[in-house]
Amino acid sequence: MAAEKSSIKIITLIAADGSVFEVEPNIVKEMKTVQSYIDELDQNTVSIPLPNVFGNDLAMIIEYCKKHASEEETKEAKEEFDFEFVKRMKSDDKLRLLQAASYLNMESFLQFMAKAIAAEIENQSVEFVRDYFQIESDFTPEEEAELRKENEWAFK
Amino acid sequence: MSNSSDATALIQPTTKTVKVSECQNIDILSDLPDCVILHILSFLNAKEAVRTCVLSSRWKDLWKCLPDLKLHSSHFRTIKIFTKFVSRVLSLRDSSIALHALDLNRKGCIEPRLLKRIVNYAVSHNIQRLGLYFNCDIAQIPPTIFSCQTLTYLNLSVFPIGKRPFFPKSLNLPALTTFHLQNFAFCADHDGRAEPFSDLSRLDSLVLCDCSVRDGIFLCISSPTLVNFTVRSRFYDFYEIELCTPSLVSFAFIGKPCQIISRSSLSSVKYVDIDAEMLDMDTKHPLILLSSLLGLVNTKSLTVTASTLQVLSLYPDLFEIKLPSLGNLKSLKVKMKPLSYELRKILVYTKLQKIKSRKEAAELEKAYKAGLEPSSIIPEGIVEFLLQNSPSAEVDIVDWSWSNAHSIT
Repeated sequence: MAAEKSSIKIITLIAADGSVFEVEPNIVKEMKTVQSYIDELDQNTVSIPLPNVFGNDLAMIIEYCKKHASEEETKEAKEEFDFEFVKRMKSDDKLRLLQAASYLNMESFLQFMAKAIAAEIENQSVEFVRDYFQIESDFTPEEEAELRKENEWAFK
Repeated sequence: MSNSSDATALIQPTTKTVKVSECQNIDILSDLPDCVILHILSFLNAKEAVRTCVLSSRWKDLWKCLPDLKLHSSHFRTIKIFTKFVSRVLSLRDSSIALHALDLNRKGCIEPRLLKRIVNYAVSHNIQRLGLYFNCDIAQIPPTIFSCQTLTYLNLSVFPIGKRPFFPKSLNLPALTTFHLQNFAFCADHDGRAEPFSDLSRLDSLVLCDCSVRDGIFLCISSPTLVNFTVRSRFYDFYEIELCTPSLVSFAFIGKPCQIISRSSLSSVKYVDIDAEMLDMDTKHPLILLSSLLGLVNTKSLTVTASTLQVLSLYPDLFEIKLPSLGNLKSLKVKMKPLSYELRKILVYTKLQKIKSRKEAAELEKAYKAGLEPSSIIPEGIVEFLLQNSPSAEVDIVDWSWSNAHSIT
């Protein structure tokens, strides 16, 4: 089994918009969804369509994985990379990447995105958070007031 | 989250291209499973997390399934409101769901009853990561903490009322891998030695902050599994640390060098990070710092702050010493963290003592007042001194001003 796995040289990932990414096996290790698929094959090359992930997002995820899989990079360099990585993203990007991380079953990247999103909604108003997640409230104003009253111990 | 069988079903290897139209309608949030939203909420403090209950009916009870709770009194206007909040959260949370992590940070002395309730809740919900920060007497810490079978991470930063709390003599924490202790006093046996961690069979990382040894001068740490060890020392607790840790790879020290590390204790260590400081003139600090360096026989990477090098430079006739260690060094990193006011004063004072002429002394004082002294943040010749047995090691001078250090974290 180990020999079969190591025979795979290049993995081709095909994003939802058809864009193609060729990566080495160690890059996709964290993508459990992809990995479980590779594990069942014994071919030299594999191509895997990812219909739920757009090319731009996949490019970013691969960039992140490459940086973190590298043994040459120091911990500090990785931390600085993470900092810059989040800084250049808009809220929409973060949510889309979180979704992709969930779909690809990438545990540490999912944590990383969840943390970045949490930092944005921390100490924000209910309206801001609704807007951020595009949530339509299905409460009437009376119901909402009632809920706040019920949980007033959290709204003090 | 999708399990692997679902995941493979989603992937169709035969279809090479996917029509864009099929994926344009990915609705970001409604597609996010609850467990992913709970991941986000886990990073919020519990107050913010609970407040999401008013967002919509889907969110109404979501917080009750939170696997992580961050309970910090600083997020509340008064301690009374905080206490009520904690109590309500514990009552209303879905108790069928395991509590993965709890982080309790309370200003001042915690009410023993509340602490007991929190700890018992955590332990009975299979807590894995527990962080407790508050003032209390150790007698009030429920002993169940020290026999919790599920704990993998424990951080006890207990600020004592009066004397430092005693550390329990025996521990039954079979799953514990990371242990972070602050302000504890380890009790020594009749032979003056304390050996508090030998029961922890899976210990991987140990952090001791401002801990001391009571009725003794030896702290023994024997652990075949320990990989990372950090000591922080802000006070003047002089004792000797004896390590019997064959797997130890990295060692870090922060603060005033007060703890002598026994000879050959650090022989397996590959990575060392030292940020030494001195706030008043005590010749023991440079001596202890130097003695630690003598034990680094297999160290590949040494990271030090500028202040560490300054403290070391205060050892008399340092450059005449032939180091028996640091022969395998590949990398030396010097973090250019600004020197503290106290250390600068010590350095100038030491220099003044060596100066004979008054004029020179006056000039030195003037330069010090203008912030120009010490003229070089790294003492001259010290890098060469450290590299005497590894002249080809790579030297890296890292800018470590406060702003830089903070922007990354």
